[in-house]
Amino acid sequence: MDNLAYENLAWAVLIGHIAIIVAGGFITVLAQSLVRALMGLILTLFGVAGLFFLMAAPFIGLMQLLIYVGAVSVLIFFAIMLTNAWPGGDESGKKSGRQMVFALLAALAPVVLLGSAALRTAPPSVLIPEETEVQELGRFLMEPYILPFELISLLLTVAMAGAVILGFERRKKR
Amino acid sequence: MSLMTIYHLVAIFLLAAGIFGIAYRRTLVGIVLGIELMLNGAGLSIMASAQLTPAPNELGQVGALLVMGVAAAEATLLLAILLVVLKRFKHVEADKLITMRG
Repeated sequence: MDNLAYENLAWAVLIGHIAIIVAGGFITVLAQSLVRALMGLILTLFGVAGLFFLMAAPFIGLMQLLIYVGAVSVLIFFAIMLTNAWPGGDESGKKSGRQMVFALLAALAPVVLLGSAALRTAPPSVLIPEETEVQELGRFLMEPYILPFELISLLLTVAMAGAVILGFERRKKR
Repeated sequence: MSLMTIYHLVAIFLLAAGIFGIAYRRTLVGIVLGIELMLNGAGLSIMASAQLTPAPNELGQVGALLVMGVAAAEATLLLAILLVVLKRFKHVEADKLITMRG
């Protein structure tokens, strides 16, 4: 294949993934059943992972699949199973049109502000991103950015400890 | 329209969908789904800003990784909070949770 064919293929992949993301986003916020909404979220996560691969960052794409699709989705699925998530449960029932209008207004505000800013002030972009080796990434994380790395590990520890403590309190009262 | 702008518009769509979900959904689980959408948009935006400009690539990749770490911590804690709320109130509807004492 010549260069033009590769470029067309890249655009097709980009537009396909954007379509997946948009469809998944709409399913996530509009589906009646929360299980379907979670499936929409997983679709979106796959689309974003595809965009990461397209940006020549396969490591981050794989991490997205492992952490989001593998771990966070399962956690949310546990949360769904614990609550009244069946089609006749908490989430169903008539929602007022007023709520819909307010939600649309709330969602449109950042679209207008940030969208116009992004369109007006976009710097010229590189068409072909370079791939970074994981080795370099690790060195970057251990040398100049050691403080955020340590802080995120502290945050994870505190979050796990907090989750365990909340769970224990629940058990004591029973 | 440059390539980075397209990625940023997708990220803005994810942000708007997340805000819409937070405002429109009735239960706490639905709100969590909206938050996850917004966090994904943030990661995508950071990543596009670093990969598609002359900025150092490692910066964006490490930023996206940190966003994922925050999202994982947040999901864990939200599950625990949801368990406590469910135990005390027997439901997770956001509009009916109006007291902090339970």
